[in-house]
Amino acid sequence: MRSTIYYKAKKTSENIIIHLFMLTVAVTCIFPLLWMVSSSLKTQETIFKDMSIIPKALHFENYYQAWIQGGFGRYFLNSLIYTVAVVIGIIIISSLAAYAFSRLKFPGKNIIFFIFIAAMMIPIQGSFVALYVLLNKLHLRNTPVGYILCMINVGLSTSIFLLKTFFDKMPKELEDAARIDGCSKFGIWWNVALPLAKPVLAVVVVFNALNVWNEFILALLIFDSRPLMPLQVALITFQGEFVTRYPLLMAGLTISIIPILLLYVLMQKYIVKGVTQGAVVG
Amino acid sequence: MRYGKFLSILVIASLFLFAGCSSKPYSGKSITVWHWMTDREPAFNELAKRYEAKTGIKVNFELYAPSDAYSQKVRAAAQGANLPDIFGILGEKRDFSSFIKAGFILNLTPYMLEDNAKWKNSFFSKALAVNEFNDGNSYAVAPGIYGVPIDIMTIQMVYNKSLFKELGFNPNRPPQTFEELLAVGKKLKAANLEGLVSGWGEIWMIDCLANNYAFNIMGKDKVIATIKGEVPYTDADWIKVLSLFKQMQESGLLASGIVTMVNKTAEQLFANEKAVFAFNGSWSVNVYKGMNPKLEYGAFLPPKASDKYPMAIWGGAGSSFMINARSKNKEEAVKFLSWLTETPQQAYLAEATNNLPANKDSINKISDVMASFAKAMDYATHPNVWGVSEFSPVIEAFDKGIQSIIIGEKTPEQVAAEVQKIKERELAKKR
Repeated sequence: MRSTIYYKAKKTSENIIIHLFMLTVAVTCIFPLLWMVSSSLKTQETIFKDMSIIPKALHFENYYQAWIQGGFGRYFLNSLIYTVAVVIGIIIISSLAAYAFSRLKFPGKNIIFFIFIAAMMIPIQGSFVALYVLLNKLHLRNTPVGYILCMINVGLSTSIFLLKTFFDKMPKELEDAARIDGCSKFGIWWNVALPLAKPVLAVVVVFNALNVWNEFILALLIFDSRPLMPLQVALITFQGEFVTRYPLLMAGLTISIIPILLLYVLMQKYIVKGVTQGAVVG
Repeated sequence: MRYGKFLSILVIASLFLFAGCSSKPYSGKSITVWHWMTDREPAFNELAKRYEAKTGIKVNFELYAPSDAYSQKVRAAAQGANLPDIFGILGEKRDFSSFIKAGFILNLTPYMLEDNAKWKNSFFSKALAVNEFNDGNSYAVAPGIYGVPIDIMTIQMVYNKSLFKELGFNPNRPPQTFEELLAVGKKLKAANLEGLVSGWGEIWMIDCLANNYAFNIMGKDKVIATIKGEVPYTDADWIKVLSLFKQMQESGLLASGIVTMVNKTAEQLFANEKAVFAFNGSWSVNVYKGMNPKLEYGAFLPPKASDKYPMAIWGGAGSSFMINARSKNKEEAVKFLSWLTETPQQAYLAEATNNLPANKDSINKISDVMASFAKAMDYATHPNVWGVSEFSPVIEAFDKGIQSIIIGEKTPEQVAAEVQKIKERELAKKR
């Protein structure tokens, strides 16, 4: 018969191995962030010589320079407006569309849904010229509305797919009860479906916010006026054809990830729920 | 009455103020330039201010970087008839020609030839060649000059003077012959130094050096004849070219891991004084300055492997601007580009951005290293000006073959035979 000490030792060693593994994964994830912050405090010269994580001399002025030289104030506000507008647009349209695909019966429902899903497979670069010409004809090129509409379109298919998967699993009895209470179809969507879909909506919010926040190629294509550009374009200022000003770029990157990091932290609880409830099935 | 007096004083004061300024007031005209050169943005804006002060014409430099995104924007804008007055075309001459044939680019030949070709003659002739289409060109473009070079670039060797001295060589005399280069390689191991670094992981740089030596060993005509399919890659001269890489490897000249090295890594190694030689472009002056301002180095042509033909290096126009043929401001745009490429503006651009000026009269105003890159324009050539181009699979097989030689996987003869096989396959397909 094996003693308690044996089982305790076995459990402890298992825990050590698991924790060591998890620690390695965590360090691998955190290291690029640490390197970015560390590089943001070095100079162009020391960045290639001083390989330590904590630099000998800390150059906090890089943050000020990045903010001023990159014109971050305006771009930061632009990105914030685009992200909020696009995410709200996607949430409204995709949740309505997903609910309709899940609950309503109408001719061609499946075909239209598959067309939406197929749109997920087309990389946005493939539609650049067509988008440009279309926006030009609609007189929406070089306007924030044109950019916001395009970005809503980019995020719709994946969001509809995620929300439809969730609505398909939602018990019909809840809707029946709401209907007995006098709710219309729109009322059921607003009062029942949406509140229940909070975890999936959190995933949709984070996923799309990240997508819009990091986007710049479409913005470069659509906008001619620099004051309309998003934050990521400001970061490109530090990347020359042959020379990259790494300390300023890293300082700029550090500034730019703060809002997304905050969003993750605030919505972490819902995201975990969303994932565990099968929001990202498939 | 009191207001009238105040107004008169204000008007007179303004008149004095304007009379005191040499600049012309804003004429209401403006030119828009789309560019992709992030590092040149402040210098361009400064020049735009100077031009406005001189002519009253406002020039808006609009930056769209990185270059991939810029190219997409230019293409899309062409489709939507939204091209600006001045723009650049990045990519192969084939793309350039398609824009010309679609009527998007103005033929600048008449302007270049005005006043006894004053504008044309101000450039390095080879810088202009990239923007020029000759009679009977394979792209079926009407002959002429369609672009204005803003700066030039050459690709050659650089060496660290301090390390060179440490190895016992004269720091002011880089290797002149291939044997002298190999002799340096033999001393490197004992000194625990890396020899030649370059971005040979991005294989076009291997292609560049191999072509330099092909021109040196067999001459331009034979290289062109090979591309046309008239000379096989199994020819003794081509095997000699491939063998040079084997010799470099055997002498210890090549840095470890060079076949997978990206140019950014090579630049870091050279700037941090870990490598004696680098094979790099003139843009590296700017890169090394940023990484290590105290670095002491010089530029030189790849040492000759043969006395039969002169050494050739890749070079030509670095960046060029084109004028929108459909723009209502095209005349103003021509005048602006003509002003931008005059000696003072070119010297300012070179000084502010560390890029080589396209105007040949500006080179006496730049640093020694930059001047030696610029002087090498006399030896410059580029596949874009050869009039014929090699099949992509052949180039790939040739460059990857050199990588195999360096790692000792294949012999020069084996690589030559394989490349020739692919060449014959491609020629058969074309027929």
